[in-house]
Amino acid sequence: MTDIGYAALLIAFIVSIFTVISFTWGRIKGYGDLLAAARNGVYAVAALTTLAAIALWYAFLTRDFQVKYVAEYSDRKEPLAYTISSFWAGQEGSLLLWVWMIALFAVIVLYQNRDKHRELMPFVQVVLMSTAAFFLMILTLLSNPFARLPFAPQDGNGLNPLLQNPGMFFHPPTTYLGYVGFAVPFAFAMAALITGKLGDDWIRSTRRWTLFAWFFLSMGNLFGAQWAYVELGWGGFWAWDPVENASFMPWLTGTAYLHSVMIQQRRGMLKVWNFILIIGTFLLTIFGTFLTRSGILSSVHSFGQSNLGPFFLAFIGIVLVFSVGLLLDRLPHLKSDNELDSFLSRESSFLFNNLILVGATFATIWGTVFPLISEAVRGVKITVSQPFFNQVNGPIFLVLVLIMGICPLIGWRKASKENLLRNFLWPVIGAVAFAVVAYASGIRDLYALLAFTLCSFVVAVILIEVFRGTRARHRIYSENYLTAVGKLIWHNKPRYGGYIIHLGVIMIAIGIIGSFALKTEVDQTVAPGEMINVGQFSLKYNGLTQYPTANYDVVAANLEVYSGGKKVGSIAPSKNFQSATDEQPTTEVAIRTTLLEDLYVILAGWDRDMSASFKVMINPLVVWIWIGGSVLLLGTLIAFWPDEKDRRRLDARYGRGEA
Amino acid sequence: MVSNVQSRSVASKPRSASLVKRKKFFIGGAIVLLAIAYLMYSSIQDATLYYLTPTELVNQTATSSATTLDRGVRLGGRAVEGSIKFDSSTRILSFKVGDDNAEIPVVYKGIIPDTFEEGVDVIVEGKYTPQGVFEASTLLAKCPSKYVPE
Repeated sequence: MTDIGYAALLIAFIVSIFTVISFTWGRIKGYGDLLAAARNGVYAVAALTTLAAIALWYAFLTRDFQVKYVAEYSDRKEPLAYTISSFWAGQEGSLLLWVWMIALFAVIVLYQNRDKHRELMPFVQVVLMSTAAFFLMILTLLSNPFARLPFAPQDGNGLNPLLQNPGMFFHPPTTYLGYVGFAVPFAFAMAALITGKLGDDWIRSTRRWTLFAWFFLSMGNLFGAQWAYVELGWGGFWAWDPVENASFMPWLTGTAYLHSVMIQQRRGMLKVWNFILIIGTFLLTIFGTFLTRSGILSSVHSFGQSNLGPFFLAFIGIVLVFSVGLLLDRLPHLKSDNELDSFLSRESSFLFNNLILVGATFATIWGTVFPLISEAVRGVKITVSQPFFNQVNGPIFLVLVLIMGICPLIGWRKASKENLLRNFLWPVIGAVAFAVVAYASGIRDLYALLAFTLCSFVVAVILIEVFRGTRARHRIYSENYLTAVGKLIWHNKPRYGGYIIHLGVIMIAIGIIGSFALKTEVDQTVAPGEMINVGQFSLKYNGLTQYPTANYDVVAANLEVYSGGKKVGSIAPSKNFQSATDEQPTTEVAIRTTLLEDLYVILAGWDRDMSASFKVMINPLVVWIWIGGSVLLLGTLIAFWPDEKDRRRLDARYGRGEA
Repeated sequence: MVSNVQSRSVASKPRSASLVKRKKFFIGGAIVLLAIAYLMYSSIQDATLYYLTPTELVNQTATSSATTLDRGVRLGGRAVEGSIKFDSSTRILSFKVGDDNAEIPVVYKGIIPDTFEEGVDVIVEGKYTPQGVFEASTLLAKCPSKYVPE
């Protein structure tokens, strides 16, 4: 089966090169037969990479430890779910996952556009297939997931216990769906540049792909954060590690792109800028893979250094030169249809949102690659630590939140002063009222107060928008309020889906602000019967217990949790020792979650006299990050759903034919 | 929806008005970019750490003045075999971080990562004292043996 897998990859590599050549040649010369053959080539690459993926899973499930990759990342006692996720635990499998996804996406794009975009499609596929060919080259020549050991070991190394967590099950595939998803709008952008069909077609036909990619990249980051929070046991979820930044930077530019394309669709502006953003986003997704795979920067999550770095750099270089060169060549044809009418307009709020997001990207890149720059320029490696990223990105994101609130309040083109006053009045009153309540409830941290006030402003704006629309429907159609709110959202899905996504983002922001600005922590060593006091909680330590489970010997510390003199529960942080082997123990934190705060307890160690050391933290509002993630899902689904009104609007603008 | 007729009439406004508008945007944009640049400049001052190997740290202290080391150092190397000691009453961990040519004694108090053991690659952050002991405030151990390097 593994031979079949490798053969499938090898054939897929050859076929992908064939499709690139025949799409190009067929399109230039107008050979219909060649184009048809190329289209079949795309289907073949998808089928072959699917076969390779099945072969790798088959090797994992049959415990074929002679396959080096299987031996490295799984063992006999691994449960089914983690045997499946071992697929993407290492480099070879991750790259296979990447190429499999891009091949499937290419097929979906081909099918979606079977009657459309005859001019663009060959070049869209050329870009997608070239990318696939690059990854297939690496898989077949340098990083073969089916490589064999000279002997078959009795058992595998097993998946790192740290990776045996639901967050890690979902984090890589969702991140990759996001990464690879952005390849589709990028391919359309390149095709538009190559063919000179520079209208808004390429943007219109990739709106869903962009949203899809953005959503999964967001979820990928959230799953990664949650994994770090519950599994790594240092009490936080984000450390500005190069590997984290790698997936955060394309998210920033992707977010900017998601917004700026709306300006082009509405007003025919920012055409060049949109090309720059999508090229940048695509390059950052490849750069992210390069960062995590090359080991060029020291990272806690270092995935082992490999020899792939130069190949990725070369690929990035080729894409950069080609796409920027093409864009420069087409520059004279990319004139704006309109000019910005007023400083006080929705367009200009989008513009500033973009500027700020790109600024944040630049700051993050700067901090991430600073060690490389300083080494090249001054010969010393200087690393940039977390405070840099927090101090720079903190204020940037607060301004972004402010813009998020202001944007819906100002109309397109030009807003009148009276209009502004009327629109701003209630949200500002709401935000100020919230600030007073927050102050009264004991929040004294200025930064947090300001941030929460801005967040409440955005929430007030959105709720008032929805309320106004609902009230209007209630009056005009005399629907009851519940029906009215449902229909309001349903009849303008892109807009209200977007608002719901914004609400989700605000919830995530509230969680981040709470846990960064208002965290308390205590380190203490206690004997059985003694108390640890932290914030409003008292924890009574009752000693250690030891018990075996199927895979581990567990040593757990038992703590009773008191709040306001009343017992509210108990909590048991532990360390797990792998029974059979001499593996290092894994520390399992204990978390007591409420909507207001997480009580986060780490068992640091113990002594023969049963005294134990703990790190106890109160992380306020963290749960809202995960709740916000589900709201993001809801909003994306609504925005994704076909919308009749939106289709008519766009048809009116572009005509039905081509799009 | 903005009709095309309308937008065209706007685009053909007198030139001077559009220049003033452009100037406004230019100034607005410049303020944002300058603010971000200033944030980056002011934050990077106190957030940079020298990243050194034990050999480099020994050479640095031998050649340059001590002031360069005041701002903190990130030291990367191997937790030397047989050097790890843990005092369970004070909860202070002491060990040596070494490379091929030098070894530096490190003391640390705090959460010890699960992956920390003899021979693993570690990164410590902290200060190198004139007494030649590295007082670490952060201890990171690289991911364990299962991430087999290529």
